[in-house]
Amino acid sequence: MVENHRWLDVLAHLTLILGVVIVAFPVYIAVVASTHEPADFVSGLIPLLPGDNAVATYASVLEGGVSSQMSVPILTMLKNSLIMAVLIAVGKIVISVLSAYAIVYFRFPFRQLAFWMIFVTLMLPVEVRIVPTFQVVADLGMLNSYAGLTIPLIASATATFLFRQVFLTIPDELMEAARIDGAGPMKFFRDILLPLSRTNIAALFVILFIYGWNQYLWPILITTDAGFYTIVAGIKRMADVVDSEPLWNYIMATAVLAMLPPVIVVIAMQRLFVKGLVETEK
Amino acid sequence: MAAITIENVGKTYAGGVPAVQGIDLNIRDGEFVVLVGPSGCGKSTLLRMIAGLEEITEGTVRIGDRVVNRLEPAERDIAMVFQNYALYPHMTVRQNLSYGLKNRGTPRDEIVRRVDEAARILEIGAYLDRKPRALSGGQRQRVAMGRAIVREPSAFLFDEPLSNLDAKLRVTMRGEIRTLQRRLGTTSVYVTHDQLEAMTMADRLVVLRQGRIEQVGTPLDVYRNPVSTFVAQFIGSPSMNLMSGTVRAGEVRVADAVYPAPGVPDGAVTVGLRPEDFALVPGGARAGMPARLVNIEELGSQRLGYFRVGGETVVASFPAGQVLSTEMTLYPDLSRLHLFGADERRIDPAPLRAGAV
Ligand SMILES: Nc1ncnc2c1ncn2[C@@H]1O[C@H](COP(=O)(O)OP(=O)(O)OP(=O)(O)O)[C@@H](O)[C@H]1O
Ligand SMILES: [Mg+2]
Repeated sequence: MVENHRWLDVLAHLTLILGVVIVAFPVYIAVVASTHEPADFVSGLIPLLPGDNAVATYASVLEGGVSSQMSVPILTMLKNSLIMAVLIAVGKIVISVLSAYAIVYFRFPFRQLAFWMIFVTLMLPVEVRIVPTFQVVADLGMLNSYAGLTIPLIASATATFLFRQVFLTIPDELMEAARIDGAGPMKFFRDILLPLSRTNIAALFVILFIYGWNQYLWPILITTDAGFYTIVAGIKRMADVVDSEPLWNYIMATAVLAMLPPVIVVIAMQRLFVKGLVETEK
Repeated sequence: MAAITIENVGKTYAGGVPAVQGIDLNIRDGEFVVLVGPSGCGKSTLLRMIAGLEEITEGTVRIGDRVVNRLEPAERDIAMVFQNYALYPHMTVRQNLSYGLKNRGTPRDEIVRRVDEAARILEIGAYLDRKPRALSGGQRQRVAMGRAIVREPSAFLFDEPLSNLDAKLRVTMRGEIRTLQRRLGTTSVYVTHDQLEAMTMADRLVVLRQGRIEQVGTPLDVYRNPVSTFVAQFIGSPSMNLMSGTVRAGEVRVADAVYPAPGVPDGAVTVGLRPEDFALVPGGARAGMPARLVNIEELGSQRLGYFRVGGETVVASFPAGQVLSTEMTLYPDLSRLHLFGADERRIDPAPLRAGAV
């Protein structure tokens, strides 16, 4: 701290509180909405205080009892989302950690080319290449499958670069010491590199899990079989009713439930996550 | 334990620049050889070729009676100590010491025995369960030594292992490394750019210059008979005074004084004299060099006088109490006078050395 005036403290806190309010308000509204009757929300006046319908709403959402608007039980959608998010996060980490290892520690023909090709894919996010990607996935018969949901999203230039940076900070002598100690390439990778990148892996896992969990466009495109609906896409489908008013309390309850797993992941991995972002000592 | 035989070894890095050329060196079993030279002369490159961390472009390296050119570092039966120690940061000291043994499939109780033995010798028993991060530089240095000795290799390779330590610790550690090496009797190759470290530790010195061996010999031999002006200036501190002189008819003239140089061809020469080889009183038939004192440095045990002698600066060392005045005459010890030709190579006028004692 450079300055230490009382009013500056107050100002800083006010700014932070304002920020929190702006970010948290929509979440609060969602929670509040999920505790009211469906009609309360559509009446035009959005209630600001919790209602008394919470237990009933959440019970029927979890039981999948709102059959008119939810063709798929929420637990199935949560399960699908979980599988998708974990597969994407783990897949991205495995692939990027291996490719970073190859790029940093091996001298193979066309190494530069490989590096630049990975770099170029950075400029092509899923949304840009979504039509050809869909075509490929459809031709391979991967529509309505976990493979189709995850594989096109797994390759990750960003994560590869992150690991490349991490590996570059590890002194060469460590690799040489390991070679003298009789550790071959895989042993060095497993015994030295992976443990040293542990916190980075954890931080990346959190970020990628949320990335996978929040996927919206892609799951909507490639799943037509309700058995593969993910929760985020499911919410959109719930709101997409033609013949009646959307049941906002159920939608909001689903949204609140959809927020829980990422929150749990963040909290569970908080210590490692923060360490991975701030730790510089190697 | 093994001898290391290096035959005509050279290294050319990508880009075609030769870093090391035509090295021939026989390192005897149990010997402590120090590679010394200025920065960039190829010391590390040569050491890393012995270790197997750098490919050998030409020539052969033999450890014991095996040619090791194509062997992985782990198969060469060597251990290396790095300048930055290169301890595994996520492992405890014990794990650091045992990792290599474990990879080699050494039985568990044997690992425990060797680690405990190394810890006892190096007095690092108290930190066996700490991570390297929680150790001081000197302690890390010991752990790095420990990692080398648990392997019980046939050779130790050191690449400037002390240069990250403070001056005082450096002196202690170099003594310890030498004592330890004598006790274990393991052949060692030690790289340093510090000539004092090289002098004090070596059984034999190898002075490198621009990728080639300039001189090999015991520290005293190299100190007394440097083969070139390069070695003369590099070994010894303060370094040898080099003055220009001319030889005519078996006599060398330097700074208005004339000394015998029988058998030396006429022409320009460089005359070398170490700071400690000057006296203030004439002895025998010595001629003196008129000198003007410009500065004095006190070292405590001795004092260094800086003089102007015939247009050149000359350093001479004297006992601590020696009185120095502005105008005086320096009498060089003729038996310690070195002559170097125009090619900077030593010229040895044998009769002069024999007659001057
Ligand atoms: N990987 C490399 N690629 C190209 N040239 C290199 C490489 N490593 C070293 N060199 C060159 O080889 C020469 C010898 O380098 P080396 O590291 O052996 O020097 P050194 O004697 O150990 O010096 P220092 O005392 O500074 O460590 C230098 O000119 C250096 O520039
Ligand atoms: Mg070096």
